[in-house]
Amino acid sequence: MRFTTKPSNLSPASSQAVRVNRLGDFIDRTFQYWTIAPLIITLLLLVAYPSIQLIRMSVSEVDIVKGETVWEFVGLKHLETAMQDPVVPVALKNTLVFVIAVVIIETFLALIISLLVSRSKHLVGFYRTVMLIPMLVPPIAIGTMWRLMYDYNYGFINQALALIGISGPTWTADPNLAMPSIILVDLWHWTSFMFLIILAGLESMPQEINEAGRVDGASESQILRYITLPLLRPTLVTAVMLRTIFAFKVFDEIFLLTGGGPGTATEVVSLYIYDVFSKQFRLGYASFLALGLALIISLFVIFYRRIGRRAQG
Amino acid sequence: MNLHSLKMTKRSLFMAMSLLVLSSFLLAACGPAATTEPPAPTSAVTQPPAAETSAPVPTATEESKPLPPITILINESPWLAGFEALVNKYVEETGNQVTLNRTPFNGMLEKSRNAVQASESEFDILTLNEQWYMQFYADGLVTPIKEIDPNFVLDPQIIEYEWATRWDSELGYSSENGELYGLPINGNIMLYFYRKDIFEANGLAVPQTWQEVEAAAQKLKTGDMSGYVVRANPPNWEFQAFLASYGGNVIKLDPQTGEWEVTLNSPEGMAALNTWLKLGREYGPANYADNGQAEMIALMASGKVAQMVLVGAAAPDFDNPEKSIVVGNVAAAPVPGATLGSNATMSGIWVMGIPHNLPDERKQAALAFLNWALTKDAQLFYAQSGAIPVRQDVYEEMANDPKLGWWMKAMADSTRFIHAQPRITETPQIIEVLDRRLSQALISEITPEQALLEGAREIHKILTDAGYKVKPLAE
Repeated sequence: MRFTTKPSNLSPASSQAVRVNRLGDFIDRTFQYWTIAPLIITLLLLVAYPSIQLIRMSVSEVDIVKGETVWEFVGLKHLETAMQDPVVPVALKNTLVFVIAVVIIETFLALIISLLVSRSKHLVGFYRTVMLIPMLVPPIAIGTMWRLMYDYNYGFINQALALIGISGPTWTADPNLAMPSIILVDLWHWTSFMFLIILAGLESMPQEINEAGRVDGASESQILRYITLPLLRPTLVTAVMLRTIFAFKVFDEIFLLTGGGPGTATEVVSLYIYDVFSKQFRLGYASFLALGLALIISLFVIFYRRIGRRAQG
Repeated sequence: MNLHSLKMTKRSLFMAMSLLVLSSFLLAACGPAATTEPPAPTSAVTQPPAAETSAPVPTATEESKPLPPITILINESPWLAGFEALVNKYVEETGNQVTLNRTPFNGMLEKSRNAVQASESEFDILTLNEQWYMQFYADGLVTPIKEIDPNFVLDPQIIEYEWATRWDSELGYSSENGELYGLPINGNIMLYFYRKDIFEANGLAVPQTWQEVEAAAQKLKTGDMSGYVVRANPPNWEFQAFLASYGGNVIKLDPQTGEWEVTLNSPEGMAALNTWLKLGREYGPANYADNGQAEMIALMASGKVAQMVLVGAAAPDFDNPEKSIVVGNVAAAPVPGATLGSNATMSGIWVMGIPHNLPDERKQAALAFLNWALTKDAQLFYAQSGAIPVRQDVYEEMANDPKLGWWMKAMADSTRFIHAQPRITETPQIIEVLDRRLSQALISEITPEQALLEGAREIHKILTDAGYKVKPLAE
C-alpha cells in the first residue's frame, strides 16, 4: 500500500522532498525499461525500419525524378511479374540445388574433419588455424583467385592437368560443369565454418559418456553412432541452419566466376536481385524478390528450429 | 546489496544515462555545422603554376572570380590514363582545379545515382555509360546543356554517336531532335582486329563480309589458334553489330505513328544469330561460351586467335610489349558486314553529364572543362595520351600517326557505320533479356529460333508494361 500526502498541507521544503521521492519511485518502477530502451531503439532503427521499408517498396513502384523519390502503390503487381518472369523459376531451382549441395557436402566434410581433429592428440591448434584460412579470405579475392585458377587457357588447374597429359575441361564455360565448379569453390570457402562449429560442439561434450561407453564394450563406431552424433545433434542443427541462411544469399563467388552463366546455368536468386536492382533499377520488383527470398529462408529456419527442438527434447 | 542501496544504484545509473544523452545532444549542437561540401577527394590532381592558355575557357588567373574547383566521377578503365593526362593539361593551361574520383566500373552507377539524389551533388561531372545514361536524361538528373549556357553550339566535328548526347522527352528516346543533355568523352566503338602477319602469309585479304571472315577462320584455325572468338560475356553488344549488319534491329520506332515494334525475331535476326553462333562455336576456343573482353584481349595478345571484333580501346594493348607477343602484327579495319558496305559498328561510348543538383557556378565550371576538353587540340592530345577521342577531324588527322594510325584510321573509317543499341529507359531490361537468350543459344540450352522468339516476347512485354505504344508481335 502506497502512502500519500496532500501537498497543500506541507511546507515548500517537504513538498519538494515528496516530488523527489515520486520521481525516485517512477525511476524504480520503470528502470528496466530505461536500461533496455537504447537497445530497443537501435533495433527498431536498424532492423524494423529497413524491413518495413522493404515491405513498402515491394508493393510499390519506386522511381527517382529530379532527385526526388516517387512512390506509387501497385499492390501485388510484382507477384504477377514474378510469376511471369522466366528467370525466377530457373534462379530458384539453381539456388536450391546450390544450397542443398553445399550444406550437405560441407556438413559431411566438416563432421569428418572435426572428428579426426578432435581425436588427434597433436597439432590441434595448427589444424584449426589452417582450416580457418579460407574463411579469412574476402569473398571477392576468393572469386578472383578461382577465376584465374579455372581459366581454360592460363589457369593453374588446366596447366597442372596438362603436365600429366590431360586436357582440362572448360570449367566455367560448360553448362554441366559451371555449377559443380562453383560448389567446389564454396566447399573450399565455407567448410571451415562448419568445421569450427562442429569442433566446438565436439570439444564441449562430456568425455565421461564416451569413456563409460568404452568401459561397457562399445566399439568406436557404436560410440559415434549412439553417443557422439545424438549429443552433437543440436550443434549440427545450428550449424546447418546458419550455413543454409548464408548459402541462400550466395553472390560474390558466382558474380565473379560465371556472372550467372553460361546461359542460365548458375543464375541464382541473389544475383538476379542484384541485376534487377542495380542494373535495371527496378527497385520495387527487386524488393519484392528480396522479400520472397527472405521468406523462403525463414521457412527453412522454422523447419530447422523444429528439428532443433525435437533434438533437444 | 540491500534494497536502499539497490535503489540508489538504479537512480545513479539513470542520472548518469540521462547526463550522457544530454551531453551528447549538447556536443552535437555545439559541434561544427553540417556542411554540403564534397567529401575529401580520393585523389587530387596536382595543380602546377598557371600557364598561358589558348583554350576558350575562363581561367582562375584571368577572371576576377575564379572558377570553383570541380570533381569528376570517372571510371577506372584502359583510357583513364589518357583522361588523367587531359585533366592535368587543363589544370596546367587554365589554373582551374580538378579532382578525379576514380571508381571501378561496378561502382559507377551507384555513385552517380547517390550523387543526383543528394541535396547537392558531390560530383560536378558524372561519366555515364551508354547503358544507363537514358535514365539520367529522362528523369532530369543531369542538366540540359543549354540551361547552363543558352548560346552553346555543339561543334559539328564532335561525333554524337546516334544522338547519345540527346533526349527527346516526347518520344522517350535519344533522337536527333532531342535536347542536349550530355557530351561524349570516350568514343568507344567496335573494330575488327586481325593478325595481319598470318593473313598475309596465307594470302588472305582483309575481310569485308562475315562470309569472308568465316572463310579466313576456316583456313586459319589450328590446334593452338582459334579462327575467330565471339564475345560471350556479355554477348548482346557484339551480336547487335551482326544484327545491324544484316539490316535488323532489336526494336524499331515508327516515327509516323509513334509506335514501337519488336523486330528481333525476324529473318535478319535469324541470319545474324546463325552467323554469330557458327563463328563462335565452330572457330572459337574450347571455352567459347565464357570469353569476356579481358579474355579476348588476352587471347589476341598471346597469339591465340586470328581475328575478332572488339572495342577500339583494346588496340593499345596489342602494341604494348609488356602485354603482347604480337606487337606490330595486329591490324584493324571496320567491322565487316553481311554484304559489302552493310558494315555496322556498335556505339559503346561514355558521355559526361552535369548533375541537376548543383549551384550555377559549379555547373558553369563543369561546362567550362567540357568545352575545353572537346576542342580539337585537347582531343588530339587526348588521343596521343592513349584515350579514345570523340571528334571526326581528330581521327582523320591521327590516321597518319606513325604509332596509333593503324587503328585510328579504322576508327575514322568506321564512324559512318555507327549503330546504337535500343536507347530507352528500359534498355537495361532489354539488355538482360538479350544477354540471357543469346547465352542460352550459344551453349545450345535453347535453339536459335527459341532464343529470338522468346527474347522478342519478353521485350514486347517490357515495352507494353512500361506503357509504350507497341505493335503486336509478329510471330
